[in-house]
Amino acid sequence: MTKRYISLFALAFGLLLGTSAAMAEGPELPDAGTNLRDTASLQRGAHIFFNYCVGCHSLKYLRYERIADDLGLTQDEVMKNLDFTGGKFGDPVVSHMPPEDAQKFFGKAPPDLSLEVSAKGENWVFAYLNAFYLDPKSPIGWNNTVLPNAAMPFPLWELQGEQVPVMKPATPGDDPQIEKLTLLHPGKLTPEQYQQAARDVTNFLQYASEPAALERRHYGIWVVLFLLGFTFLAYLLKKEYWKDVH
Amino acid sequence: MANEVVDQGRRRFLTTTTAVVGGVGVVAAAVPFIKSWEPSAKAKAAGAPVTQSLKKIEPGQQLIVAWRSLPVFIVNRSPAQLAALPKQDGRLVDPGSDGASADQQPKYAQNATRSIKPEWLVMIGICTHLGCVPDYVGEMKAEPFDPNWQGGYYCPCHHSRYDMAGRVYQGVPAPKNMAIPPYHFVDDATVQIGVDAEGNA
Amino acid sequence: MANVFSNAFSSLGEWVNERAPGLMPVYRKHMTEYYAPKNFNLWYYFGSLALLVLVNQIVTGIFLTMNYDPSASGAFDSVQYIMRDVEWGWLIRYMHTTGASLFFVVVYLHMFRGLMYGSYQKPRELVWLLGMLIFLVLMAEAFMGYVLPWGNMSFWGAKVIVSLFGTIPVIGKDLVEWIMGDYLPADATLNRFFALHVIALPLVLLLLVVLHLAALHEVGSNNPDGVDVKHGPKGNRWDPTKPADGIPFHPYYTVKDLVGVGLFLAIAAFIIFFQPTFGGWFLEHDNSVPANNLVTPAQIKPVWYFTAFYAIVRMIPSALGTAVWGVLGMFGAIVLLFLMPWIDGGKVKSIRYRGTGYKVALGLFVLAFFGLVLIGTDSTAELIPMLFGAGVDVTSLENLFGRVMVLIYFGFFVFLWLYTHLGWEKTKPVPERVTTHD
Repeated sequence: MTKRYISLFALAFGLLLGTSAAMAEGPELPDAGTNLRDTASLQRGAHIFFNYCVGCHSLKYLRYERIADDLGLTQDEVMKNLDFTGGKFGDPVVSHMPPEDAQKFFGKAPPDLSLEVSAKGENWVFAYLNAFYLDPKSPIGWNNTVLPNAAMPFPLWELQGEQVPVMKPATPGDDPQIEKLTLLHPGKLTPEQYQQAARDVTNFLQYASEPAALERRHYGIWVVLFLLGFTFLAYLLKKEYWKDVH
Repeated sequence: MANEVVDQGRRRFLTTTTAVVGGVGVVAAAVPFIKSWEPSAKAKAAGAPVTQSLKKIEPGQQLIVAWRSLPVFIVNRSPAQLAALPKQDGRLVDPGSDGASADQQPKYAQNATRSIKPEWLVMIGICTHLGCVPDYVGEMKAEPFDPNWQGGYYCPCHHSRYDMAGRVYQGVPAPKNMAIPPYHFVDDATVQIGVDAEGNA
Repeated sequence: MANVFSNAFSSLGEWVNERAPGLMPVYRKHMTEYYAPKNFNLWYYFGSLALLVLVNQIVTGIFLTMNYDPSASGAFDSVQYIMRDVEWGWLIRYMHTTGASLFFVVVYLHMFRGLMYGSYQKPRELVWLLGMLIFLVLMAEAFMGYVLPWGNMSFWGAKVIVSLFGTIPVIGKDLVEWIMGDYLPADATLNRFFALHVIALPLVLLLLVVLHLAALHEVGSNNPDGVDVKHGPKGNRWDPTKPADGIPFHPYYTVKDLVGVGLFLAIAAFIIFFQPTFGGWFLEHDNSVPANNLVTPAQIKPVWYFTAFYAIVRMIPSALGTAVWGVLGMFGAIVLLFLMPWIDGGKVKSIRYRGTGYKVALGLFVLAFFGLVLIGTDSTAELIPMLFGAGVDVTSLENLFGRVMVLIYFGFFVFLWLYTHLGWEKTKPVPERVTTHD
């Protein structure tokens, strides 16, 4: 009887976990393939972020000191290679651009990216970084298939190069739709290298969304094992006492 | 099967083992909660060492900077103020800072001027009596509280007085010399407060 | 060594006993001399687990309060401060957020147990009513806690849920402003919800839990056979005057519950350390965006544990120029649960001996509940195209499905009343004594 119930609960729990994982992200986005344990990827991602993104985007909940600790960098490395805004080692990451200027240039202040991956998911960020294309109709010259009419010019164009859209065969009555993007002018990186670079930035932003994720997995396994051990002991104790009950 | 013999030894052993393991779990679970009271990363960042340029501080002038929210006095002592220091020894509680005030400064500031470089005084500006911030009275002229004043600090709260090295005078409520924080010179014109040359905070 | 300790303990016990002779009898009444039926199964773990989660919520909640800033300008930042700058703050917060969801998992299972084994029937009506009150206060507590992080879902959730009161004719609009203390959820709203969430409602909850347990221990526990052990033969190996099928709660059920506690904590720890957002079910993605009164999140939906009731609001259309019917339906769905002891006029308690009609009805009722959860979480919007192809009219299919589910939900109570009060139920014979299967 009890065994039947236990397997029933295990099944329900497994199903729930499965559905929750399946529904966590939209079905259509490709897997970003990020890995928080890949410290080298996090370091490369940090470099790209601080060279191309921090001009407009801050990470106001993340401190330089935390980056150094978590990414295995020294204070000097972080202050020399990443901190270009003159912040102190213990300060959070601010952008170069005052928000008022940003409002003026882009019509909308560039968002803080501390929680971007928490809010949108890593697959979205990865897809977004791959989805910029030249659009003469846009006032900034760029558009994006993942976030149409994004107010953001493509900062990584010199790495990826410039993409242009290939349109679907027109159907009468419908607006023209983009089938895929194709590279018009190659950038400094090959498409494979660029994919890796975009993955690294996404990985870094995923880390920035929840720095505790590194510790949490580290401790988690021991906590669960300890509790299972305790449960086993408690089970033996229960068996022993319940010998009295007939 | 009704009254089969209970193995009391096994029962006691299992009870004790489960209790001990459970107790270990409870103690381990308490650790994060206790640790959450430690100064947070924000507090630590606010208490990080402070770097200060000395270029614009003229002889006889004092600049106050905040370190861990404490007022730190940085004084460029004039030759006259420095010359007056040894003459005060007889009127001070602990002129050598090796008695009651032995723990009020790092070893490298336990000297006649209580400093690394004689002219630069770097000191936490908190009266050792009850924690007020003493006034800087740098001029060497007769003051209401001392007709023979040679420059120093005067605490408005309970009238404690200190000389130009933060050494406390006799006959006032404050018991000790004012504290010197860990500090070092990054270069000739820059001081870093909160950490010494070896990196110890 | 062991002797030294046990001697110290027993003399400490004597010392206390001399000064407070009333304590030991209370302990005995509720622990060592509370005779619970010996045939509890897995479903009987969830009461003690609910108590465990309540303790977890209180302890972690106290520590969160130490670093949380209940102001519209500071709340969101202070949550990130807890997650990043406070040592172990992330663990304390995840214990609280995971605990909130697991609280409802455990409470729903506990309530289902009550329905299955007729634990609400005479003489346990008061136990059931107090339990339902706990559930109601728990929903208010959870809702206000959900608002505190002041993310965009918090803000819009608060706005939508408070607006439910706006459908009440005549006073609705004024009532909404009074609850919020402003024209939109704002500083005043956040402050009062904080006060209620951390002080007022926990006190009420604790009081109700004590009363729930006191009322239970007056009448004694039900069991999977629905046989009242108090009315059965007397005499067990501990006491000749006590029920033959009863065993002392301590140590037998304390050690048994300890197994449940261990397993439950292992599952909870797995979620806390590896899946704290549970794929957006326990912590929603849109709540990582600060509250913004100008931008509504793409989907506004409550956390999963409210969605069954929220779906009822969505599925009942407005009529006669007012949307109050949906809100009435939602509250009605809860009120009907309160009335279970009087709606069910069944002669036997446990599902093991009840008529087939009851078994089918309860099964459908549970299915309807899950169906409504799926609608409330907007899962149907994804599932329907997956099942029926991309071209189908999702909204009308969803409405059809949802309205059938609402009908089944309410139909359960109507059917149960007719089934039992008109004597349609064919029950099986109930045994004299409890049975054990293991």
